[in-house]
Amino acid sequence: MEVFLAQLINGLALGSIYVLLVTGFNLMILVARIIQFAYPQFVVLSMYACWEVLRLTNNVFLAVFACISTSIVLNILSEPIFRRITNMKGIDINASFVASLGIAIVITDIMSHSLNYGFPIAFPTSWVEGSLARFGLIMISKGQLYALAGSIIAVLLFFYLLYRTKQGRLFRAIAENRFAARLIGIPIVKTSIFSYFIAGLLGGFIAILLSLLLGSASPWLGEFVALKILAVSIVAGLGNLRGGLVCGLCLGVTEAMAMGYLSGSWSNVVSFVIMLIIILIKPQGLFGTSIS
Amino acid sequence: MKKKNNILKIENLSVTYGPIKALRKANLEVNEGEVVALIGANGAGKTSLLKAILNIEKPNGKILFLGKDIISKSTDNIVASGICLIPEGHVIFSSMTVFENLQLGAYHNSYDFDKNLEKVFAYFPILQERSSQIAGTLSGGEQQMLSIGRGLMSNPKLIMIDEPSLGLAPKIVADIFEILSELNEEGYTILLAEQNAKKALECAHRGYVLETGRFILQGTSRELMNNQKARRVYLGGSV
Repeated sequence: MEVFLAQLINGLALGSIYVLLVTGFNLMILVARIIQFAYPQFVVLSMYACWEVLRLTNNVFLAVFACISTSIVLNILSEPIFRRITNMKGIDINASFVASLGIAIVITDIMSHSLNYGFPIAFPTSWVEGSLARFGLIMISKGQLYALAGSIIAVLLFFYLLYRTKQGRLFRAIAENRFAARLIGIPIVKTSIFSYFIAGLLGGFIAILLSLLLGSASPWLGEFVALKILAVSIVAGLGNLRGGLVCGLCLGVTEAMAMGYLSGSWSNVVSFVIMLIIILIKPQGLFGTSIS
Repeated sequence: MKKKNNILKIENLSVTYGPIKALRKANLEVNEGEVVALIGANGAGKTSLLKAILNIEKPNGKILFLGKDIISKSTDNIVASGICLIPEGHVIFSSMTVFENLQLGAYHNSYDFDKNLEKVFAYFPILQERSSQIAGTLSGGEQQMLSIGRGLMSNPKLIMIDEPSLGLAPKIVADIFEILSELNEEGYTILLAEQNAKKALECAHRGYVLETGRFILQGTSRELMNNQKARRVYLGGSV
């Protein structure tokens, strides 16, 4: 029971990070019409920026600022590339996937060659420290608490933006019917650029939570996570925001349970086999895709 | 009759999709306060013309709206300048509420939102009743009303409406045309594309007949209704 509870907390903390990543990823699918495989890479690169500034200045505030602005800048900079691709006639969403794959590989290579000599980075203990509470085997770390609380706040804010603001209404209009949105005079390009900004803001926030939860990052973390995010969003239904919430949490919990009850190295196998089975049964995803 | 102001003037407008010429050197004028009908069979180029005006399809030629050439402007700029297109097949945001659809229609005209909303609700009381309902649950006729209402929310100087009768029951079609006439009496200028030539000409002051991308006839509604060729081809000879 203690193992179960401990792993449940672990899983929810990890899952809540997946949820945020899938949400940003789905926003890109819905509004910008791209499969942004490099999104998690941007998050990891922002973690590097955070770490670097923290190392140089030891100023938490500056580090957070560097992290979020790096993420926003990376996402906005990628916009013209993706717009060029999506504007071409007869091109479907897969072209953007290949382009983002290219960007992802370039970023991984830069990190593994040039940043910190290719070694994984570890955040100082002043950044993330110790446990909050311990009950026998069950230990809640500060990182876990931050990840969970931060994710809940971020998800709430995101859905508030989407369903309660004018900007969010534009996002939903474009996601539902691009033609009709254009017809009634919604500036598609401007709104789309704003969605990159929001994805960047969210990505920067994820980078902070992830660094608090893991306390470290490696050049390969991004690709590793990107595969899971892509898989989760397909299993949930590409572009299905609510599906992403459920499936992201489920993935985190499944992985943690596999780690708790099997050997840690089997956790990926377990979660990917489960996703394989789901896709065989429901090719459109559990919650249905909004991409035709 | 006093000379009315030109709202829309189209000169030598062509639209091509690859090798297909959807519209060839079309000339058309819409004056303030008029209802102008665009008549033609399916595929004659009516929709292409309307989309070209909004620069949704890339046209060649000249489009003057209120005296300014708008041919190279972006769709959102054209809509902001006062043209709205109510597309065929009641294109609405079906997962959103009726009210949200109307809010979206007011994107370029949010400062007199309340006034426009009141006006739309006066024309279509059903939309007020259903304003918090999800738009996809409306009936076909109600969706068409929502589509028109959404267009009115932008307070347009020119309303272009594409096949408003498509797929609707005769009773509802009659209602919709009634509303178009009312809108015209209120001062709205309307460009109406319609396969149902009889209905369209009854509502319009003037008309243009399109055939495979070319205007073959034009004139007042009365002239067109009495024209032998138009009668034979588009009015079934039964007017």
